[in-house]
Amino acid sequence: MPKKISMEIIEQENVGSNVYRLTLAGKFSAQPGQFVQVAVSTAYDPFLKRPFSVHDCSANTLTLLYRRSGRGTSLLAEKKAGEKLEVVGPLGTGFPMVTEDKIILVAGGIGSAPLFYLLKTLQAAGKKVAFYYGARSKNELILREQYQMLADEYMEATDDGSCGHQGVVTELMADVLDEEKPVIFACGPDGMLRAVAKLAKRNKCRCYVSLEAHMACGVGACLGCVVPNIRGEYVRVCVEGPVFPAVEVF
Amino acid sequence: MPDLTVSLGKLVLKNPVMPASGCFGYGEEYAPFYDLSSLGAIVVKGTTAKPWQGNAPQRIVETPAGMLNAIGLQNPGVVAAKAKISQLLRYRTPVIVNVSGHSIEEYKKVISVLEEENTVAAYEINISCPNVKAGGMTFGTDPDIVNKLITALRPLTEKTLIVKLSPNVTDITEIAVAAESAGADALSLINTLVGMAIDIEKKRPVLANITGGLSGPAVKPVALRMVWQVTDAVNIPVIGMGGISSAEDAVEFILAGATAVAIGAANFVNPTVCPEVVAGIEEYLSSYNYTSVREIVGLAKRTVNTQS
Repeated sequence: MPKKISMEIIEQENVGSNVYRLTLAGKFSAQPGQFVQVAVSTAYDPFLKRPFSVHDCSANTLTLLYRRSGRGTSLLAEKKAGEKLEVVGPLGTGFPMVTEDKIILVAGGIGSAPLFYLLKTLQAAGKKVAFYYGARSKNELILREQYQMLADEYMEATDDGSCGHQGVVTELMADVLDEEKPVIFACGPDGMLRAVAKLAKRNKCRCYVSLEAHMACGVGACLGCVVPNIRGEYVRVCVEGPVFPAVEVF
Repeated sequence: MPDLTVSLGKLVLKNPVMPASGCFGYGEEYAPFYDLSSLGAIVVKGTTAKPWQGNAPQRIVETPAGMLNAIGLQNPGVVAAKAKISQLLRYRTPVIVNVSGHSIEEYKKVISVLEEENTVAAYEINISCPNVKAGGMTFGTDPDIVNKLITALRPLTEKTLIVKLSPNVTDITEIAVAAESAGADALSLINTLVGMAIDIEKKRPVLANITGGLSGPAVKPVALRMVWQVTDAVNIPVIGMGGISSAEDAVEFILAGATAVAIGAANFVNPTVCPEVVAGIEEYLSSYNYTSVREIVGLAKRTVNTQS
């Protein structure tokens, strides 16, 4: 059940490439892939809360990972330890728990944010998890060391070849999908998600994608964040998503 | 404790605070945050005879102290909505259904279907949605059409009939008077103001619908002025809305002449804003020793008249 809570900032670190890791204290729980709405200001401008996926979560902390890219995230990046933030969550439908033992996570740049908590949760449940990480260049493989260290298998690709395979991350996946038929969980730019979904379909692998949308309420009331599903109906990213079976939306 | 009850036609509300239609889904979205029974009424989404798909995304964009939306009245149609509405009966508060359509026949159909059961306490006739191609606001900008529509709907129900007015007109009092003379029991205003935003990198409108409806604190002064004007022009009660985000905002609308208030976009920012406004109004009344909220309805007008 979502609730509105006030959480205190424990730590805010710039982890490179304009990306910040924000750790908040407070009683909080969420499923991997769920998100929270955060008030970046107590004034009327900017007006709306900002949605962020849960990067990590324990009984008494919530960690978010976000790129400073507009007015809202710039205001958030200025916040210091000790300040309080109003948070609404947990919200939305996260990644499903699956019975398969072999799982591949595919991250594109800052899209890695929700996959850290997912990786830890899956491993705690005894799953073997491979992490495939793609970005434009090495500095956008945010926190690559933590995934490299934790994942049972780790592969990376950059467009410019500054780290790992030169090219897109899906090029690394074709063989393993064909042989092992893993379940795929992906988060990243739309183009990457579509490529992952296509590859999954061709190899008859189950695939789930986490989508992003402009959002107002975050609870399903305003219908502002919808995307069309394969039947052409508009579904809410904030309630039916943000995680969807890829075959539902692509 | 001050008396918070107010009346809209036959309908008595335990307090003057309700969510604005379209900002509260079918109610269940906000049920995890507080007991919906604490609301003066629950106002559900614009409901049409058949399911409406709504507009293509992008549907919303944040603007200075507000937001634009072009949802396009996406809803599952009156038959599916009826089931959702009956779920709200477990809350001890009246349910008001916002009724929309492309034609007079469609509005009639929605009311007829809902009249089959005694679940709805009042109808809010939406003649002011700026985001649908036909119907919606086109009904709300011509006093003759408003008169025709409300005259056609009035015989279908004995329940309170509220007409929701558009601010996108030259003279809102003209439309208000037309609705009153056709038999409306109450008016609600304002719906959103038509606006737009342009993405200067992509060099095109942000919203797929090109224009959208502006709401949030940015519209409050305009809404307040219109409530002031309309309550001068008609004798039926008015539900004031437009940018209300706090009890202080709500009190302003009541002092301007509104009998009740509705809260829209502020729900998106603060999911518990409605009960907070109820508590704040009560506190305001107590602090000035008023025994009833009704004592302050339009009080600012009386102050002006006394002084002039």
